[in-house]
Amino acid sequence: MVFLLLTLLTGVAYPLVVTVIAQLVFPAQANGSLLEHNGTIAGSTLIGQPFTSPKYFWGRPSATSPVPYNAAASSGSNLGPSNPALIEAVTARVVALHAADPTNTQPVPVDLVTASGSGLDPDISVAAAYYQLPRVARARNLSDETVEGLIAGHIEGRQLGILGEPRVNVLLLNIALDDLATPSSGLAKGNTPAVNGSAYNETTVLGMRGADWLQLLLLVAVGAALIVPLGGFMAKVFTGERTILSPVTGPLEGWLLRSSGVEPDEEMDWGLFAVALMVFSAICIIVPFLLQEVQQFLPLNPLGLGPVPWDTSLNTAVSFATNTNWQFYVPEATVSYLTQMAGLAVQNFLSAAKGMAILVALILAFSRRSASTVGNFWVLLVRSLLILLPLSTIIALVLVSQGTVQTFGGPVTVPLLEPVRDASGNLVTTQLIPLGPAASQIAIKVLGTNGGGFFNANSAHPFENPTPLSNFVENLSLLIIAASLCYTFGRMIGSKRKGIALLTAMTILFIPLAGIAIWSETGGNPAFNALGIDQSSPRGQPGGNMEGKEVRFGIVASAFWSAATTSTSCGAVNSMHDSFMPLGGLVQMVAMQLGEVVYGGVGSGLYGMLVFVIIAMFIAGLMVGRTPELYGKKIEPYEMKLATIIILIPIFLTLTMTAIAVLTGPGTATILNPGPHGFSEILYAFTSTSQNNGSAFAGLSANFFYNLSAAMAMFIGRYLVAVLILALAGSLVRKKIVPASGGTLQDHRPLFIVWLVFVVLIVGALSYLPALSLGPIAEYLIQIGRGVAHV
Amino acid sequence: MSDQYALYRRAAIDAVIKLDPRTLYRNVVMFVVEIGSILTTLLWFQALTGHGEAPAGFIGAIAAWLWFTVFFANFAEALAEGRGKAQAESLRRMRQDTAAKKLDPGCGIESGMAPGASMYAVVPSSSLRKGDLFYVTSGDTIPVDGEVIEGIASVNESAITGESAPVIRESGGDRSAVTGGTSLLSDWLIVRVSANPGEGFLDHMISLVEGAKRQKTPNEIALNVLLIGLTGVFIVVCASLWAFSVYSVHTAGVGVPVTITVLIALLVCLMPTTIGGLLSAIGIAGMDRLIQKNVITTSGRAIEAAGDVDVLLLDKTGTITLGNRQAVDLVPVNGTDIRELAEVSQLASLADETPEGRSIVVLVKEKYGLRGRTVGPSEAVPGVQFIPFSSHTRMSGVDRGETRIRKGAPDVIFSLIRAAGFPITDELQGRVDAISGAGGTPLVVTRNGKALGVIHLKDIVKGGIRERFAQLRRMGIRTVMITGDNRLTAATIAAEAGVDDFLAQATPEGKLSLIREYQAGGRLVAMTGDGTNDAPALAQADVAVAMNTGTQPAREAANMIDLDSNPTKLIDIVEIGKQLLMTRGALTTFSIANDIAKYFAIIPAAFISTYPALAALNLMGLQNAVLSAVIFNAIIIVLLIPIALRGVKYRPLSAEEALRNHILIYGIGGIFAPFIGIKIIDLLLVMIGA
Repeated sequence: MVFLLLTLLTGVAYPLVVTVIAQLVFPAQANGSLLEHNGTIAGSTLIGQPFTSPKYFWGRPSATSPVPYNAAASSGSNLGPSNPALIEAVTARVVALHAADPTNTQPVPVDLVTASGSGLDPDISVAAAYYQLPRVARARNLSDETVEGLIAGHIEGRQLGILGEPRVNVLLLNIALDDLATPSSGLAKGNTPAVNGSAYNETTVLGMRGADWLQLLLLVAVGAALIVPLGGFMAKVFTGERTILSPVTGPLEGWLLRSSGVEPDEEMDWGLFAVALMVFSAICIIVPFLLQEVQQFLPLNPLGLGPVPWDTSLNTAVSFATNTNWQFYVPEATVSYLTQMAGLAVQNFLSAAKGMAILVALILAFSRRSASTVGNFWVLLVRSLLILLPLSTIIALVLVSQGTVQTFGGPVTVPLLEPVRDASGNLVTTQLIPLGPAASQIAIKVLGTNGGGFFNANSAHPFENPTPLSNFVENLSLLIIAASLCYTFGRMIGSKRKGIALLTAMTILFIPLAGIAIWSETGGNPAFNALGIDQSSPRGQPGGNMEGKEVRFGIVASAFWSAATTSTSCGAVNSMHDSFMPLGGLVQMVAMQLGEVVYGGVGSGLYGMLVFVIIAMFIAGLMVGRTPELYGKKIEPYEMKLATIIILIPIFLTLTMTAIAVLTGPGTATILNPGPHGFSEILYAFTSTSQNNGSAFAGLSANFFYNLSAAMAMFIGRYLVAVLILALAGSLVRKKIVPASGGTLQDHRPLFIVWLVFVVLIVGALSYLPALSLGPIAEYLIQIGRGVAHV
Repeated sequence: MSDQYALYRRAAIDAVIKLDPRTLYRNVVMFVVEIGSILTTLLWFQALTGHGEAPAGFIGAIAAWLWFTVFFANFAEALAEGRGKAQAESLRRMRQDTAAKKLDPGCGIESGMAPGASMYAVVPSSSLRKGDLFYVTSGDTIPVDGEVIEGIASVNESAITGESAPVIRESGGDRSAVTGGTSLLSDWLIVRVSANPGEGFLDHMISLVEGAKRQKTPNEIALNVLLIGLTGVFIVVCASLWAFSVYSVHTAGVGVPVTITVLIALLVCLMPTTIGGLLSAIGIAGMDRLIQKNVITTSGRAIEAAGDVDVLLLDKTGTITLGNRQAVDLVPVNGTDIRELAEVSQLASLADETPEGRSIVVLVKEKYGLRGRTVGPSEAVPGVQFIPFSSHTRMSGVDRGETRIRKGAPDVIFSLIRAAGFPITDELQGRVDAISGAGGTPLVVTRNGKALGVIHLKDIVKGGIRERFAQLRRMGIRTVMITGDNRLTAATIAAEAGVDDFLAQATPEGKLSLIREYQAGGRLVAMTGDGTNDAPALAQADVAVAMNTGTQPAREAANMIDLDSNPTKLIDIVEIGKQLLMTRGALTTFSIANDIAKYFAIIPAAFISTYPALAALNLMGLQNAVLSAVIFNAIIIVLLIPIALRGVKYRPLSAEEALRNHILIYGIGGIFAPFIGIKIIDLLLVMIGA
């Protein structure tokens, strides 16, 4: 009953409300930002098109199949940085550019020869446009100045002055070029070039441009400003205090609980709580599984998609129910709108809410003295949902305003400006642009640290993440709840500084992760240096390792996102992780292998961190000569037993499953990249699934083995841990609270924070360093070895 | 020196015996190392036949050092046990069956009369049961533990306390417990047996010092859980590494998969062998340190609890103040000259052998320059007779001819004054009240029934106790003084001694409720006590130390017994408890921090054949990386044995300071020490041409 009501609420009412508002307020954006030209639809401004003729500006290389810029199956190349196939492909593109314009001896901007993350990137960098200028001008018999003027008119600067990259929309520029040839065009001729490429030369500070620094600082500032109000709000909701939303959520909560027959005042002990959680979770797996099997008989299936193979369907159902959102399928070509919104997006809400409910049970265990109950699962579940729902609605509408689609309409077919031939030589003249109720799902995807995309390319897809601003909002959303819950925790146990201390520890862990990721990606791929490719960022282009990344986000926002999405258990990607440099990939894996406690998933991140705090406090307590106590609760053998097992589960799962995979045929059959990077793909897969992250080195493709083994890893990684956390809560809640004395180790002081960071790092390092040394570390060392040889 | 040698020899032999897997399995970490040793030894045999996975010399060396690792850990434990064993031997000799004079239950015991030979039968001590009565007389050995119900005697307890001075044991009061194995020096006692054979104090002490009955303490169990967990992680890490290596060789197309020997070496290096090997030695040594301090504990839990104590309840007398009051002032009344009062006071106290009496003589000498004189019968004053102090009369004095000088407690002396026909003047009463009011004890001095003045006796706070309490406060421990004195007296002494709080006019119920109050607030309370009326409070306290001179009920209610009967010992006990936990924490941190360097040693060596680029991780430039790491791992156990046995250096610091120090020394030090150690071992190996 609860399940049905909540499904109706989050799977039907919520997307409907968002769609109605979106269609009324932002009709153009909600329906795909379609471009009307001379009275017909000429495409979408957000979806790039393939161009190969010298008279058109070429866009980013696209790795979609069977044709480039196949909007029906967005995808990056997933080629690893050391994959010879990547070097070959890039070399071929450089050769093609030179062949089309033999006189041009400038270095090639890197974004022009590296495949985008979505395969649909509508933009190229300013430098890439200027690079093509002489060729296009010659092919069209136009003066350089004319074309230059046209480019200048199409340069889209940074959003709000600091977000994203200056860029040029290739489709719009090419349409304008065609218009130039027809006299009827209204476009003014002979504009004097106000801007040329050199105006975009920027200075860098510590390897990053001013705008890069500013957008990171802005993100941190906005995030920091939100933590206290949001954290406080959540604490109030969990404890049933009045909030500004109470007039709406209060009656709704009461109605939901009453209709489900829940007695809100009936507290549960941990066992009952765990049973409720597991029974509810079983339904959360079975229903989406069945939905996928019968979607062909149900409405909202404009593409007429058939049943999903059972192993994929099971993997997907477990994946969404465990807050992992690992996707072994191409959503736009596999699941119907109904399955997405009423099956999968519902789980985005429920899995996040379950995580929060478990966390609150643990918090109550710390704050109550000598009690036996840890709250009521249903009440906490509903309250968590009532936190997520309003936030999601706001975020969804912000995303729609930027161009994220939100419609129940079917896909749109648009003509290609320049028809292309597919691999088998057939002429392709149209592009099928899939739509759908995406914004409502994406909002909760990031807020709930779920990560499961509406489209295959996830947040790299222009319809999921259309602008630098939407990227900013999504990136903030995926961090903010997990971070704010630290404050909620502090408030609920009666010591805000203890909550802030945990947040500080997480941040101390996060900064170097993000820093190394950014440093690694801005450095670019040393293998490209010999190919005459310009990878430096200051010259009107993002520079760096652009393979698998989108021009509108550039390097810094992509690398930062990658660290954020792996540190939190979100797993949504705005660039293809498989194509990150070895150290960038290392950061992603390490961020997950630390136990998904650096912010972590909503709820799960903090409860995971609290387990680390128990272990850190235990050893520290011994070192100061007292039986360790945490927040006044004595840590005894039983707690240590649980804490140790909880920490061990993901380590055990990751390493064992990876070992099985590398030794078996099915396990190694679907690896894309050779060498250590291929090993990294498998290690990443089980790291991500065991820790319920969901991002991937997506070069590894699904098969029966992976569908089932990953489902198992996700299930155990989520639910065994959750039940043990509840057992821990059940034991802690019984203890009396020892008041702090002068001999008590203060758990909010800098020294303990540093110690906690040390413990988290050392557990992660000791468990995974050997495996990593055969993956990204070996790849990195081989690469810098080569780099030296080139110099 | 030869004693030491014997100790080491014995420990070495025991260490070999402890290799038996049937006993070693209790120590999971070391048990896994032993399995590794066995496996590598088998691999070595295989290599000797020429089909090995690596050169036989290499595998053999690894196997040997793995065996050493287990041996060293066993050695540490055996060494810790060895210290107690010697003590147990001598105790056991005392426990030998002796003859006991069992009283016939039907016989009538007359108070103050030694029973006649017809009233008892001589039986072996092992036949005595709880509740039986026996008789001991001068020269007898007390057969079993018991409580004196009749008589008074001096007892030699040196066998258990090490103190040669005899102690008095008597019925009733707080000195009624006797211990089996001690012997009577004088007089006789009738004793009721309080423990069945094998359950006596001595038996308990023997099993304790031998470590046979040692149960793991909660923190030790929790730490063990963590260590087993880490061991589990590393087993998975190493096992999966084999698979990863096989795949890497396959995908890179060069190199050979990592050998089992190297994986076992890696596993042993990563496992927390340092703390795993020393854990039980630390526990035994902690218990042993307590025994060295002459404290016997009934459970290991009590030591740990001592480390956690937040509140110390301390008896004023003996702990905070010297056992006795001292004279600090003379106050004349009735217009008496102060020098005259001094002289009379001196005379009155010459025969008072109590500390208070002596202190009066000292005061008079120091303050009024009157030297002690030999006052005996002389020409001028014949017939001098001293009246010694007795607790019955509560006064002392001297008769010199007609002059009768007395000094004593006001009520006793007042009746003397009244008997002589003098009134109790307001002045006298006022002086007496003033002194009592200020927390002192007044003694009134009279000559021939006329009051001359009042002696002010005062409690003297022990030197250095203030600083001790300040240290305790820094450690977060609250001190509470317990005294039977009135509030005023108590407050004065409390302020002087620097305790945090006091309980005045303490009754047994008062103590009990104070302890309960603290415990209800979540505090852990420690106290000392000796009297029967302390027993309820002792039973309630989390750490209860009974004086060995105390009564049987007190000793039974306590969880520790101080053989020296020194109440200040409680502070030492707290320190030992803390030190025990600190040693475990510090070595755990050290052990785990060590692993980083070992990774940098072994990982490049293990995979260099597949990925030569990994040589960059060989920060130490090692030639014999795997062997050096294994040797370091074994030797570090030996090097840390002294710390394990002695405990980490203990200083009374706040929690934060202690954590910072230990993180710096054992955490940061633990990261860097093995880099240096492994490199040195590697250089030595290169030198000897391994």
